[in-house]
Amino acid sequence: MSLTALLPILALLSSLLAAVVIFALPESSHRLRTLVNLLAAVLKLAIVAAMTWGVFRGVDFSVSFTMLPGVNFMLRADALAMLFAGLSAVLWLLTTIYAVGYLEDSPNRSRFFGFFSLCVASTMGIALAGNLFTFFLFYEMLTLSTYPLVVHRGTEKALQAGRNYIIYTLGGGVVLLLGIVWLHGLAGDLAFRETGHFQGVDPSLHGQLTLIFVLLIAGLGVKAGMFPLHGWLPQAMVAPAPVSALLHAVAVVKAGAFGIVRVIYDIFGIDFAYRQGLLEPLAWLAAFTILYGSVRALSQIDLKRRLAFSTISQVSYIILGVTLFGPLGTVGGLVHLLHQGIMKITLFFCAGNYAETLGVHRVDELDGAGARMPATSIAFTAAALGMIGVPPLAGFVTKWTLGAGALAAQMEWAVLILLLSSLLNAAYFLPIVYRLWFLPVAAPWPEERRWGRLETNAWLFWPPLVTMLMLVLVGLLAPTVVSPLSWAQLIAVRMYLP
Amino acid sequence: MAGLLFTPLAWAALSLLLDFRRGRWLSWLGMLIQVLVSLSLWFAVATGGGFFYALAGWQAPLGIALRVDGLAVSFVLLTAAVATACGVHAGVYLDPSKSWQRYFWPLFWFLWAGLNGVWLGADLFNLYVGLELISLAAVGLVALGGEAAALRAALRYLFAALLGSLAYLLGVALLYGQFGTLSLTGIADVVGAAEPAAALALLLMLAGLALKTALFPLHGWLPPAHGIAKSPVSALLSGLVVKASFYIAARLWLELGDRLGSQLLAQGLGALGAAAVLWGSWRAFRQPYLKQVVAYSSVAQIGYLFLLFPLTYAVAEPVSRLAQQGITLQVISHALAKAAMFLAAGNLILSVRSKRVDALGGVSHFLPFSLFSFGLAGVSLMGMPPTGGFAAKWLLLQASLASGQWWWIAVLLLGGVLAAAYVFRIYRASFLEDSASDDFYHPPKTLEAIPMILALLALGLGLVAEPVLSVLALPFEVAAGVTVVQP
Amino acid sequence: MNSLPSTALIAASVLLPLLYPLLALRGVWRGALRALLPLLPLPALVLALLSASPWTLELPWLVLGSTWMLDELRRSFLLLTALLWSTAGLYAAGYLGAEQLRRFCVFWGFTLAGNLGLVLAGDMASFYMFFTVMTFAGYGLVVHEGSDRACFAGRVYLVMALIGEMALLAGFLLAFRAADSLLLADVAAAITTTGTDGWLIAALFLAGFGVKAGLPLLHFWLPLAHPVAPTPASAVLSGAMIKAGLLGWLLTLPIGESGWAPWGQFLMVLGFVGSLGAVLPGALQRDPKTVLAWSSISQMGLMAVLVGAALAAPGHAPLLVPLIALFALHHGLAKGCLFLAVGLVLPASRVLRLLLWLLLALPVVSLLGLPFTSGALAKGVMKDTLLALPGLPLGSQLPLLLQAATLATLVLVARYAWLLWRQLQPGTVATARWAGWALAVLCSAVLFWYLPGVG
Repeated sequence: MSLTALLPILALLSSLLAAVVIFALPESSHRLRTLVNLLAAVLKLAIVAAMTWGVFRGVDFSVSFTMLPGVNFMLRADALAMLFAGLSAVLWLLTTIYAVGYLEDSPNRSRFFGFFSLCVASTMGIALAGNLFTFFLFYEMLTLSTYPLVVHRGTEKALQAGRNYIIYTLGGGVVLLLGIVWLHGLAGDLAFRETGHFQGVDPSLHGQLTLIFVLLIAGLGVKAGMFPLHGWLPQAMVAPAPVSALLHAVAVVKAGAFGIVRVIYDIFGIDFAYRQGLLEPLAWLAAFTILYGSVRALSQIDLKRRLAFSTISQVSYIILGVTLFGPLGTVGGLVHLLHQGIMKITLFFCAGNYAETLGVHRVDELDGAGARMPATSIAFTAAALGMIGVPPLAGFVTKWTLGAGALAAQMEWAVLILLLSSLLNAAYFLPIVYRLWFLPVAAPWPEERRWGRLETNAWLFWPPLVTMLMLVLVGLLAPTVVSPLSWAQLIAVRMYLP
Repeated sequence: MAGLLFTPLAWAALSLLLDFRRGRWLSWLGMLIQVLVSLSLWFAVATGGGFFYALAGWQAPLGIALRVDGLAVSFVLLTAAVATACGVHAGVYLDPSKSWQRYFWPLFWFLWAGLNGVWLGADLFNLYVGLELISLAAVGLVALGGEAAALRAALRYLFAALLGSLAYLLGVALLYGQFGTLSLTGIADVVGAAEPAAALALLLMLAGLALKTALFPLHGWLPPAHGIAKSPVSALLSGLVVKASFYIAARLWLELGDRLGSQLLAQGLGALGAAAVLWGSWRAFRQPYLKQVVAYSSVAQIGYLFLLFPLTYAVAEPVSRLAQQGITLQVISHALAKAAMFLAAGNLILSVRSKRVDALGGVSHFLPFSLFSFGLAGVSLMGMPPTGGFAAKWLLLQASLASGQWWWIAVLLLGGVLAAAYVFRIYRASFLEDSASDDFYHPPKTLEAIPMILALLALGLGLVAEPVLSVLALPFEVAAGVTVVQP
Repeated sequence: MNSLPSTALIAASVLLPLLYPLLALRGVWRGALRALLPLLPLPALVLALLSASPWTLELPWLVLGSTWMLDELRRSFLLLTALLWSTAGLYAAGYLGAEQLRRFCVFWGFTLAGNLGLVLAGDMASFYMFFTVMTFAGYGLVVHEGSDRACFAGRVYLVMALIGEMALLAGFLLAFRAADSLLLADVAAAITTTGTDGWLIAALFLAGFGVKAGLPLLHFWLPLAHPVAPTPASAVLSGAMIKAGLLGWLLTLPIGESGWAPWGQFLMVLGFVGSLGAVLPGALQRDPKTVLAWSSISQMGLMAVLVGAALAAPGHAPLLVPLIALFALHHGLAKGCLFLAVGLVLPASRVLRLLLWLLLALPVVSLLGLPFTSGALAKGVMKDTLLALPGLPLGSQLPLLLQAATLATLVLVARYAWLLWRQLQPGTVATARWAGWALAVLCSAVLFWYLPGVG
């Protein structure tokens, strides 16, 4: 087996094997488990880095075999795949580090980290999937492997959230499956291709294709938290903070959004979708979701719940971006896939830090936390400002590119949505920032814990700072060749100028 | 070859002479041999193709003719795998101190012999004999549960089985009277369309087999029998026994259905199957006892099998092939997954010392391995990728779509959702952390390992579905061929 | 044309204040924080003084691909910014207590970096970035005192500023589409040629920067926010940061392009409304700082009049733009001095007291445009130019309006002086405070005359 076929498989196996090893380890061997976790994460990062370099140079990494008659299991690393794979590889490492600290002294760690690794393996599979079938395979695997993480605490509330999660996502899965099967019956096994498949297709099929498109988007929209399919997301925030980070930034929500990107670009083809008028309704829906999530976030008192509604809003930026016909919109949507991940994971890390260190879960308990936990609060502030779109942070680059894309596509209303959403973002993030820095401590912290010299456990301390640094750098150095923006441009170029 | 049929009988006879413990050693040895033989046969067919085999050189009408094709050997292998797993599990699980347990091994082996007889049988009467052997052994195994309720369930089972056999036998008699042969291919060669007597015979046989397979609404006997039996027995019954009668029904249909069947019959059977899927799943969701959940899940999963009838009747050849492949995968994956599930359920029950679902709180903490096996098996039942259940569902969906019978799509998808509902109900119960009791029993490692292996097999089936199907595909190519090998 | 000063100096002028907040990470570096306050704008000051000829610096790897530059206009603004921040920083070093020093310094650094950066920015993204950084960080300065009044003012400030920011972002996005270039220099031409879109863009810029510049109806935050901030912060808010709005207008509005006469007229009217309308509310105030804030609105109104004139008479723009820069420089320094004076005390000795009042009077008379002050130059040239230009809107009323504006200035400044007279108490304050204020007065009064190329 050549290296080009081996690497995608290794990228998957690195966390799959980690999962198996972790499941096999006894509950009590914490050190070894941590070691395995970190080794796997670093290894995966190295593999993904190597592949990214290869893809940049034009190497074609792919492997496939027939799984069912007429259906292939296919892994293929194109530029888009590496965008998502890179995101999840980098953030997985950080989330693992964070989770090790977060779950210190809690039960069921073996189960947690096992499923955690499975979850990331699924995400990697989603990223590298070469056709819809393979995508679906990992998409459902992700659903299943996140359920134990959502209900990890085992409380009534967590189980309720888990139930909702599973109802929504399995329901979405069914709709998605229907769409995929139908498409397969119609057109056979379609590999993802930069230009799509339906250019110049027989016009008599247009009706069916439109229906299939609706099915696929609806199925994927559940995970992407699109209105009105978002109901599971705010509830799922009862999960431990690293899981929320994973759900919102790395895996689940992103898988949905990524799927939508794949369907629009690599199955239907942006040209075809545009000409069939499939994009505009989706753009409106995304726009509505953007505003809806923000408005709902305003009234949330629970910090993580507020962040969850913010995710609903932010992920639809990605969808809005991909529905804007034109390279700039594409770049904006794709780059937000990464940027939103980095910013949101920072926010969730920080929320977790407040919860673990001070026992603070509500926004109104955060008064004066900036003085007690400056590093965490700085990270939170930076990420919040990034979400609002303050330059030069990550969010600004997205907003600018999306806005320019919307204008280029003659969709001026989308710019209005972006601006309105920025204002709303400011309205629900800035009060938190204000409480952190400008209000005096109102009451003793609900449940304070101390760890030596640092403001919190070292495992919890560093990850948000690293992601904060990233969200500054990806914005500040956006035009450089190593930035997500450049990578998104590379994808757009390959898509629009095949 | 013949060993596959007769050695189980020999083991049965031998073990009859021994008590449970010694019978166990003997049986474990026997299983090893059976597995090896089954494997080598499978490889032989996979590489060399299928063939007919006349026992002792006597040809079909008189002697026992065996039809050794890809499908049959695959089922033989499946039987070997599941039965061995259940046998090993039973050896550890069952309580040797109960005197009646010594009958377990003989019944177990009779069952195995009957199963192999059905898979390999080429004529209707031999199939009947195999079927009876299976039924009687299965009833006996259920009765081994020992309690009064078990006996009641066994009796009920027995009546159902006898009634089913009777109907089947009547059909066989009718066919024999008309065509003078019992060979399935023989009949298929001569039968023409619009022969009411033959059609009646087919109807009778299908009805009898449907009863034995526990097709809705004839499923009433199954949940009590499967629920009350000891876990390894339940696993055998749900995994293999009900499949035997379905296998015969499917063979009949594929050979004769195109001429003797009707669209009404096909759709009707499919509708019953659909009803079984929905009703069984719903009932499973409502059951308070863990094993009842699993048993009703069997009712639902069997329902899928009956989609074979509408999806192969009056459709294009490729569509029919898709449906057949899908159903075959469903049989195999359900056998593996359901066996795994019953065995894992047995472990969970042992561990929490209660049969109730709501007693499972906290078990994820103490028995993660068994719960994980249960979960993996559940994943296959739900038809989630990448399991065998998913592969089967995919093929059936394709077949429904291609044949234009879109209503089965709804059934398939809804069935998956309902399966998820009852499986996740179990997860939910076991993830609950605030359970008051933390008094758990840890079953031996063997008991935990076996369901895991089965569940992994069900999972892996999806990944290697293509090669497996290519072996399975042999019958439908070769059956009509003339590769008759004389010994 | 492009005799670039050393890149290190350019980088330092923005990076020094930008990285300065890092010192706040350790409590023990408190002393350094305080000591560095006046030194932060020094690289920028040196840069402004050294850059005799315009330069352009391409930074294609930064944000969306940045271009930094310094021409005559920017140089004047840079000079103002650096000088005022430097003196205010010195003043602040003597003004701030130990409490929340670190927080103040962090916001000070960021605001300063934003303010300096936006002057140097040659492309939209950089300009918007620095502008936004200044706006957001400025909030920290406004609410620093933590009183209810400060918090309310902060809220109003932030809400209006955010709306302004959004208008700007929309404007920049549209301008980017129209010009297909990020360079600010291309904006004016592009929006003139794109018809209705161009009007929208111009309106967005006018409003967006108008918030910062205190244009009437967009000014509400200004009299609230400027007085509540700590005195050195008030000084830079009213002296330097408010001018960012003005600079924004100069850089983005189609000045020098024909066809915008109605816009120019509109802006001139608005400017006079602001200039004259601020008198009444201003004169009724009891807090000298609030009076100064209203005075700022009034003076910015005059500058708006000039911008409007430049729009209305594109042919004369090359003459008017340096004049506006001159006016801004004059007003910024004078207003800074006046604000800083509010935080002073009466010295014990009569001589010193006399000296104090003398020095205090300097910016006052400068603002009034009395002879031998920067004001005399700025206002004189303004009057001469405006009245001399043919074909300006409001042509016949202009002399009257200008007279009225002078009167308005007088009323507000007199009110301020009166309040200050009543308010200053004997006492002692840190030397740095005196030094900062004195330096500011010195700059305002003296340095102005010796600047090459301005007069």
